[in-house]
Amino acid sequence: MRKPLGEEMTLAAVRDFIDGLVGRGAASIAVPSMDGALKPNSALDRAEVLFECAAPQDLATDGQSLFLADGAALVRIVEGRAVVVREFDEPITALACLPDCTLALALAGTEVHVFARPDDETPAASFSGAGMTSINALSPAADGALYATSGSAVHGVEEWVRDLMARGRTGCVLRLDVASRKVSKLADRLEYAFGAAATNGGALVAETWRHRLVAIGADGGRRIVLNHLPSYPSRLTAASGGGWWMTAFACRTQLVEFVLREPEFRRRMMAEIDPDHWIAPRLVSSRSTLEPIQGAHVTMMGVVKPWAPPRSYGLIVRLNAAAEPVFSLHSRADGENHGIVSAVEHQGFLYAVAKGPRRVLRLSCEHLAEEFGA
Amino acid sequence: MSGIVLSLEKATKRYSGVAAIEDIDFELERGEIHAILGENGAGKSTLTKVMAGVVQLTSGCLKIDGREVSLRSPLDARHNGIAMVFQENSLVPTMTVAQNLFLGRERFYNRLSGVNIAAQQFLQSLNFDVSPTAMVGTLGAARQQMVEIARSVLHKAKVIIFDEPTATLTPEERKYFFALVRDLKRRGVSIIFISHALEEALNLADRVTILRDGKWIVTDGAANFDQARIVRAMVGRDLSATLYGHKKTSVRRPGARALTIQNLKMAPAVKSNSMSIFAGQVTGVFGLVGAGRTETFKIVSGVMKRDLFHGGEIFLGDRPVRFRVPSQAVRSGIAYITEDRKIEGFFQTSSIARNIYLGLLAKFAEGRSLLSRREQARSGGDWVKKLNIRAISDEAKVVELSGGNQQKVVIAKSLIQDPDIIIFDEPTRGVDVGAIAEIHDLINKLADDGKAVVVISSYLPEVMGLSDRILVSRQGKVIEEFSARDATEEKIMFAAIH
Repeated sequence: MRKPLGEEMTLAAVRDFIDGLVGRGAASIAVPSMDGALKPNSALDRAEVLFECAAPQDLATDGQSLFLADGAALVRIVEGRAVVVREFDEPITALACLPDCTLALALAGTEVHVFARPDDETPAASFSGAGMTSINALSPAADGALYATSGSAVHGVEEWVRDLMARGRTGCVLRLDVASRKVSKLADRLEYAFGAAATNGGALVAETWRHRLVAIGADGGRRIVLNHLPSYPSRLTAASGGGWWMTAFACRTQLVEFVLREPEFRRRMMAEIDPDHWIAPRLVSSRSTLEPIQGAHVTMMGVVKPWAPPRSYGLIVRLNAAAEPVFSLHSRADGENHGIVSAVEHQGFLYAVAKGPRRVLRLSCEHLAEEFGA
Repeated sequence: MSGIVLSLEKATKRYSGVAAIEDIDFELERGEIHAILGENGAGKSTLTKVMAGVVQLTSGCLKIDGREVSLRSPLDARHNGIAMVFQENSLVPTMTVAQNLFLGRERFYNRLSGVNIAAQQFLQSLNFDVSPTAMVGTLGAARQQMVEIARSVLHKAKVIIFDEPTATLTPEERKYFFALVRDLKRRGVSIIFISHALEEALNLADRVTILRDGKWIVTDGAANFDQARIVRAMVGRDLSATLYGHKKTSVRRPGARALTIQNLKMAPAVKSNSMSIFAGQVTGVFGLVGAGRTETFKIVSGVMKRDLFHGGEIFLGDRPVRFRVPSQAVRSGIAYITEDRKIEGFFQTSSIARNIYLGLLAKFAEGRSLLSRREQARSGGDWVKKLNIRAISDEAKVVELSGGNQQKVVIAKSLIQDPDIIIFDEPTRGVDVGAIAEIHDLINKLADDGKAVVVISSYLPEVMGLSDRILVSRQGKVIEEFSARDATEEKIMFAAIH
């Protein structure tokens, strides 16, 4: 027998319809402001540019060495210079150092290998198969396991824009037990999981398309830790003194939020228009006249306003142990170091990958502490 | 021509046996600008009301041009050449400037064009840039004040008394006003003005008289005063460090995000305004008049409605809210303390205790069928003590209180609701310096206790002295944020204007 709609469901449907009509509630295209701990500055544009490279993707450190995934090359950063350790056949999409100094990396987003030494020919452990379609971040757990986030079951790592425009919700978090070679799914149906960090008995995961951080327990239970971010959160790495560094590779704008409310428009845009000209977050401004722009007061009297809607943006957020933002480092709408996808603290410096201009940046943690009083 | 145009000798006025002013000697010279300063409750208003014929002296005498007079009404005072311009002007908003000017002086037969031409000539003679055919209700505060002044001059006033003339004016309008007053002085008109803005008093006045607790304290040339001396004389203690002291060197760390405003819209005042307010901090919101600050927070507190279509979002913590009426906001822990206390802040003819108790009643969802007089008296008494509200008794009517004490009643009425987010809109407007310091202390204590405090103020030293972070609003939205550590007056003003 067909179950009748409950009164609450009916009211919710009516409310959703009205919300959609007048543009409020879930249909609102409002974007949180960048203020408080997220107040814009130009710290990332003031950062030292160590070098530019072909396709920087991720950073990892074991405390002694600092590794960079640059396309298919594994690179060690030595005294500010890049030294290629080895090359793989596929691009490296994620990188992590485990507590026992072994190195884990994801290739093409579909397989994860753990190497006892970075230059070893054969991996000590390998993982692939179900759920591994878009591994974009790896993070060590305290017990020697690995947390891996897969952004999408449909789209590859480099197709993240398509996943956003398709409103994908097929991301998952995997736990890879290096000792037993077992893979277990900690959580799925996430709207693009991109970055995880181990917490007590679970993981803190960035659910990127929902602009939030979710704490996922060992039993799969979820709790929203940080919500309503004005940006697209991504990888998380441990910070000295507790807490984490969280990167955000782009910021939300009302224009993109509006497009995300319009399925027909997105369908046609994806079908008919070159992805370079989609109305979507970008890692870098192409400075092209064809690039979609958002009419607003970007510059007033020669001053770029801090809340100017950015086409691309650079952002690293320092989170405390409760995952609350403490301060943030920005490359604003008029800056260049946009599309920050990875940040790692290593020997008193914070290293960051600006994927937009393909740069590796370095900032002194001591100076940051002085500047932001943290 | 010099000489004493108006004087008071041993002037005393008592209400129910309580002296509002006592044994005051005062002299006003011809063509002089004379500022009367004092805390709220010092007796300034009573003194000027005696001069304007609004109240009569209990003892002592009033002399005009050396002749003792007894003014029984404002009309009587006007006939003797004394006019008073109150904070709330007495113009008829639905009549034109010309009609307002000649109101009460109409002839049996009036030709409209003739009235307009006469008004035009008269306004031009005063160098007042106001159209005689403009409807008064459409004029800004400064121009309405011009009309009021013009009417006083038209009535051949030789003494014009201004009560807080600049309280509602923008900085630009204030410049206009000062020029007007100086022009009147050149014409031989004597000016008395009451102000809480000490810089204005020092810049504009020739002489300054300071009252305290209904008694004369000092009269001296303005050049012989500085702010510290004025404040000392007004309150009997040195408050200058508290009031004007200055740039913060340490700021409170933000707590949890208490309130998030996203792309809020209410045409034409609020235009896609976004900001966050954090617990445990004082967030100052600065902007020029028309920056949409008051409207934004009135929407937050349910007093005004955002645009129906795409009006933006407000989150209390993580919960989206949309208050239809203020009581919903009150129950959700938001208190909005209005800038216009006389209209929106309290019931003038109710007692202090009753007003405070009404604040408490607003917190209850279903209301109460039975009111407890005992609870009313107890809560009223508690808050009178807590906020040091000075009145003859807790049962005194709010209308009888000074501006500073009225403001404290409005604050008590909100704080009794134990809110988590407290929005102060121009908390010290029309408030004396003693009460300003007390209100500032209270605001700081609230933030120290973990409350999210918002202070909307057009007074830069106040914003800079109180706030941990400063949001600058312009043309309907926040356009800049400063930490109190980095903020300077120049930076804030630049952001507010450009």
